[in-house]
Amino acid sequence: MRKALSLFLMAVLLIGVLGACGPKRDVQQPKGNDQKTAEQDKKPEKLVVWVNDDEKQKQALKDIFQKYTEKTGIKIEMVAVSMLDQTKKLALDGPAGKGPDVFYQPHDRIGDIVLQGLADPVDLGDAKGEYSETAVNAVTYDGQTYGVPAVVETYGVFYNKNLVPEAPKTMDELMKIAKEKTNAAKDQYGFLMEAANFYFVYPFFAGYGGYVFKNENGKYDTSDIGLANDGAVKGAELVQSWFKNGYIPKEITGDIMNGLFTKGNVAVAITGPWNIASYKEALGDKLATAPLPVLDNGEHPKSFVGVKTWMLSAYSKNKAWAVDFMKFVTNEENSLHYYEVAGEMPANQKALTNEKITNDPLIAGFAEQIQYGEPMPNVPEMSQVWEPMGNALQFIAKGDNPKAVLSEAVKTIQDKIAASGAGK
Amino acid sequence: MPEANVRHRPAVAMALSLLFAGLGQLYNRRYIKGILFLIIEAAFLITFYNFLNIGLWGLVTLGEIPMLDHSIFLLIQGLVSVIIIAFAVALHVANVIDARNDARRRQRGEPFPSLVESCRNAWDRGFPYIFVTPGLVMLLFIVVLPLLFMVSLAFTDYNLYHSPPRHLLNWVGFDNFKNLVSIPIWKGTFFSVLAWTIVWTVVATTMQIALGLFLALLVNDPRIKFKRFIRTVLILPWAVPAFVTILVFAAMFNDKFGAINREVLSLFGLSVPWMTDPFWTKVALILIQTWLGFPFVFALFTGVLQSISRDWYEAADIDGATRWQKFKSITLPHVLYATAPLLIMQYAGNFNNFNIIYLFNDGGPAVRGQNAGGTDILISWVYDLTFTTNNYNMAAAISLIIGLIVCGFAVYQFRRTRSFKEEGNI
Repeated sequence: MRKALSLFLMAVLLIGVLGACGPKRDVQQPKGNDQKTAEQDKKPEKLVVWVNDDEKQKQALKDIFQKYTEKTGIKIEMVAVSMLDQTKKLALDGPAGKGPDVFYQPHDRIGDIVLQGLADPVDLGDAKGEYSETAVNAVTYDGQTYGVPAVVETYGVFYNKNLVPEAPKTMDELMKIAKEKTNAAKDQYGFLMEAANFYFVYPFFAGYGGYVFKNENGKYDTSDIGLANDGAVKGAELVQSWFKNGYIPKEITGDIMNGLFTKGNVAVAITGPWNIASYKEALGDKLATAPLPVLDNGEHPKSFVGVKTWMLSAYSKNKAWAVDFMKFVTNEENSLHYYEVAGEMPANQKALTNEKITNDPLIAGFAEQIQYGEPMPNVPEMSQVWEPMGNALQFIAKGDNPKAVLSEAVKTIQDKIAASGAGK
Repeated sequence: MPEANVRHRPAVAMALSLLFAGLGQLYNRRYIKGILFLIIEAAFLITFYNFLNIGLWGLVTLGEIPMLDHSIFLLIQGLVSVIIIAFAVALHVANVIDARNDARRRQRGEPFPSLVESCRNAWDRGFPYIFVTPGLVMLLFIVVLPLLFMVSLAFTDYNLYHSPPRHLLNWVGFDNFKNLVSIPIWKGTFFSVLAWTIVWTVVATTMQIALGLFLALLVNDPRIKFKRFIRTVLILPWAVPAFVTILVFAAMFNDKFGAINREVLSLFGLSVPWMTDPFWTKVALILIQTWLGFPFVFALFTGVLQSISRDWYEAADIDGATRWQKFKSITLPHVLYATAPLLIMQYAGNFNNFNIIYLFNDGGPAVRGQNAGGTDILISWVYDLTFTTNNYNMAAAISLIIGLIVCGFAVYQFRRTRSFKEEGNI
């Protein structure tokens, strides 16, 4: 009985292996898609567009999509999918033929998206000049542009006019404010920022010559990390001095900073425009914004710029029209409409310098800072940078030697990149 | 009454049925049954041939052409195919055994039951199986299939740089496990995280059980008044969602702004670095887990204590036993005997207590020269690997190790408790 059974199982396996000769098909690579101009392409009935799941943004986009339908006759089917979930969903829906033509992602995910083969490059063509240079650089990966930039975002200085009449223009002025206004025992601070968060601290590294990955002609060299070079160390020493002098408590978190600022206990805070609404509610017209103060070497701190981008799904069957649509959504007029309804700064250069924005006291500072900023690297290796650098900043806050700490962090980043399977 | 037929061989019937279901039954001259089996097997093959073909091919190769073959889909189809084949094999074996039994009956010349009778027999004998089958099938697809998928991933190179649809996955055998204990970046972290995970599990769980037991005994004392009120108060930490409690505690433990340092410890002139020193973070975590975990244990023990017969204690009093002896020889064995399996589940639960580690300090504070935070346990480290660095293969490998540890631990303990029971009552 046993013998018979084992024989039988072997037979089944054999049949299985022999039978599993796989699908019959010609082994050839799927054809690359050539983007034709919109005129040659057949007009589709509709385009499916994934937008971020946010009420204000959806409302703004609805008007713009309506206009596109009036102009071209193509229906736009708007599907709300949270930005954070879109790539996961696309990786499953795309191959199944249920995916969108156009989706919406922050530019720093581009490397991951291209690696997974989810997006196709977009030829911006003549429209390239319409977008701010930073935004175009942000969506450039391996020398090609992936997507059409829609929204730019960076951080800047918020200040409370009750405590300081003018924004600090230079680092020295800021230090003077910190020195005069800080009284930690009473929870009064002259200057606060999330100084143990690499995202916010990077500008002070970069202003002295630090960089994450060397960038040449739109390509990042991930083997060349500049986070422990002399410039980065100088920036780290500056950050450490804030902790040493007791200007910034090392337990600072975003929540605590926001709480103190809205209570009116903080003169100057460095954070992003997403806090405008809650700060304004608390301080009213005493709230003002400005770009980051100039460093002692005369350089502007180079803040990280994030660019939210319309991207072209690799599974789209109407690529040419999808590109036409993306350019329409991000043109000057529509970018401004989107800014007015959703409150996000446009990547469109003309819209960004429009007086509607430059005259808005709470946005002007950020709009100016965008020019000094540089896009967050969009290579997949970037995901290995955040944690070691965050840890390094914790050690720096505690008072460890910046150079030693940063060298360790860079070593860790390199190890992590190697261990993550890059280049294999 | 058919006569005995010595020339009718069971082996032949078995071989025929093995070849194709129903043939052996036909040889036994059970025509209706034979044809029925033939039809079922043929239908199965026709229906599933394509699916199984692609599935098995996909399981072996994981696809051949990027962008056209999606390794993940093929892997899942392959696993489903294996499950279907396992079902088919089970049925096929049943058909072979049936052919053998019928052939032996023919040999001995016993009568066959009629169709109606055999149906009734099958219904009577197979009743429990028939009712369990739908649930079992569901279980296979809801529980077993995802588990198999996770286990399979541990043997592939599925990471950021090998993500479908653009890239295919490959089978890499035990490479991930080898890397885990050989590549420095993984090795140092893995062992230090494992050590803390074990310490955390043992200390935190034991503390919550000890506190629960202590309070249950206290409240159970006949001299205590307002028992119901006190019990209600002590259950409260369990009633508030742990999620909320942990976040509130995280704010309270903040070194500079938290209430604990500010309002309480400042009275004694102390300031403890709860969030910035790994040792104190561990202390805080264990204290919070004790607070969150004791009400369940307390409720459990309170129930058990009610059921201990008073006679035991009276007999002990007559023998002149001390309080401690009574506790050690009567109360404790009774309580542990009744609750051991549940207590083991507490240990297993804390081993994988992701919520508290992640929400309290996100596994921090950082430790120099280590790739996980100072208080990361295995499961929160796996989370990090999966969601921040897309090392799915490593995450699956570590998850597999976690699963094996928890399984081994639980199996061993359950067997211990059973042997504990078999030793009879005290």
